[in-house]
Amino acid sequence: MHRNDPHKGIRTVLYTAVFLLLLAAGLTGFPGNNILRYGFRILLYITIGEMWNLLSGYAGMTSLGQQAFIGLSGYTLAVVTTRYGLPYPLGILLGLLISLAAAFLLSLFLLRIDGMYFAITTWVVAEALGTLFMSMTYVNRGAGMTVTAEPYPRIGRLFVMALLLCSLSLVLAELLLRSGYGLGIMAMRDDPEAAEAAGVNVKLAKRAVYIFAAGVTALAGSLFFLNKGTIYPESGFDIGWTISMVFIVIIGGSGTIEGPVIGAVLYVLLSEYLARYPGWSNMILGAIAILMILFCPRGIVRFSPRPKDHLTKAR
Amino acid sequence: MYILQAIVNGILLGGTYAILGLGMSLSLGIVRLTNLAHGEYIVLGAYTSMLLQAWLGIDPFLSLVISVPFLFLAGYLIQRFLVNKAMKNGEEPALLVTFGISVILKDAMLLVFGADARHLSADYGNVTVNLAGLGIPLLNILLLILSGTSILLLHLFLQRTYTGRAIRAVSDDAGAASLSGINVGNTFSIAAGIAAATAAAAGLCAGMKWTWYPSSGGRYLLIAFVIVVIGGLGNVGGTFAAGMVFGLIQAVGGASYGMLISYVFLILILTLHPHEAFLRFSDKRRKTCEEGIMQEPSVAREDQNASE
Repeated sequence: MHRNDPHKGIRTVLYTAVFLLLLAAGLTGFPGNNILRYGFRILLYITIGEMWNLLSGYAGMTSLGQQAFIGLSGYTLAVVTTRYGLPYPLGILLGLLISLAAAFLLSLFLLRIDGMYFAITTWVVAEALGTLFMSMTYVNRGAGMTVTAEPYPRIGRLFVMALLLCSLSLVLAELLLRSGYGLGIMAMRDDPEAAEAAGVNVKLAKRAVYIFAAGVTALAGSLFFLNKGTIYPESGFDIGWTISMVFIVIIGGSGTIEGPVIGAVLYVLLSEYLARYPGWSNMILGAIAILMILFCPRGIVRFSPRPKDHLTKAR
Repeated sequence: MYILQAIVNGILLGGTYAILGLGMSLSLGIVRLTNLAHGEYIVLGAYTSMLLQAWLGIDPFLSLVISVPFLFLAGYLIQRFLVNKAMKNGEEPALLVTFGISVILKDAMLLVFGADARHLSADYGNVTVNLAGLGIPLLNILLLILSGTSILLLHLFLQRTYTGRAIRAVSDDAGAASLSGINVGNTFSIAAGIAAATAAAAGLCAGMKWTWYPSSGGRYLLIAFVIVVIGGLGNVGGTFAAGMVFGLIQAVGGASYGMLISYVFLILILTLHPHEAFLRFSDKRRKTCEEGIMQEPSVAREDQNASE
């Protein structure tokens, strides 16, 4: 969507209409709880997929450790609401702040590492956090914690929160990518040295993207666990979060804004359908992802055999 | 006395840790690929030994005769038909393919074997040898011998055989190796097969030492990664030494804190000396090569992709 789009006005109207329609659906609860629950999951998966896409597809920082922020924010929510009995919006806010701070601290050393070593190190960080929470009495070790809220938010309200988060993150990502920063970030992905030479502050751009993605992922994590009600080290810091992000972005098409939206819808519907075959679902998702990487590396939205073409043609 | 006991145990355990890292070191050093499925290969090795013990009633150590070729074949085929193809598009697609394989293997094993904790047992599993006042489990000694032998054999293979030389040549400079008539894709596949074969031995060691689950692969992978970073890429001797260091950290730090210490250790090494740590492999030869023609690493990587 960063291309010159002749139908820009029409698209804006269309997207606004979709947003208002979904907002109305969430506020009235008209579609029924089941549909709203699907919608809630789809919106959150769009959000975290889009953030992973921003990191990997646009900025060239493939992370396998975004679950670190989901776990951190989920646990903050649980600690704030259960241990201190404070209202959940405060828990969400604090989770966001803690994740932003953690992302800043991590960026100090993670950004010195490139390519697949960055990927591995992010994963190690998430695993280390999981191990730490597993042995901390403050968060009940492996026994997990519950999220308390009075009254517990209904699915309609959760849906609206997810909708706001998703739309906001999409708009912000879009604005970021259209700005001079965005061009710098993409230049950095394609050739860091050339981008640096052309005056892109690579370090700052990377840090900004990393912290932004962490913050939004953390908010999505809070909402996930607000809906779920319980959190364990294995569920908060689960590598499964990254599996789903990878799947969503690879299927949809990395390096596009539309790709992860389609990917997330397919992911939620597919994993819901595959839930009838317990045990098989991840295997089938994994096989689909491998086939996509091998035979259609640009994803569904850009089904065309020539890779990397969009980089030169796009502008 | 307690400290001495811990140190001796740490060194003996080091053999097991070393062999966990061995395959990872090969695949990172030679194929230049982080194989995220390596942990699952190790778990698969442990299950293979378990099945062979249950069906044929043979000793776990003897089961290696079958499990090593089996894992070699699996590693070879996966590299040949899936990963090599993805590597043409760059290192991240290849990384994500191995990630997919890891997910598939993990869930396949969960489906076949169930979520129960497993353990490889033998009747000599609880025998303790008394040595100069220290009680040393016989099992730990046997595992150290197995690990040392495997590492020695691999070293000899890489140094003395034609295939071994071809593997080292490809890892030094894939383009030049290809010009000299070496089939780079096939050599990668053989190296990946050997890496998987070491996972059979690693699975045996880990399976006899600790209980495991279908999901243990991630833990093994991280241990392997720490070992490789400490020991240096593709450096077989360094891997052995790194295993010892890691074993000592575990023995002194205890189970969960030992793990945490090694994570922090890994992150520190990566942050402070990422390139030194990863290019230590055959560094002398590489240095002379780079001084000679001033070749940029990125150019070398493109050559490698083009030559496949």
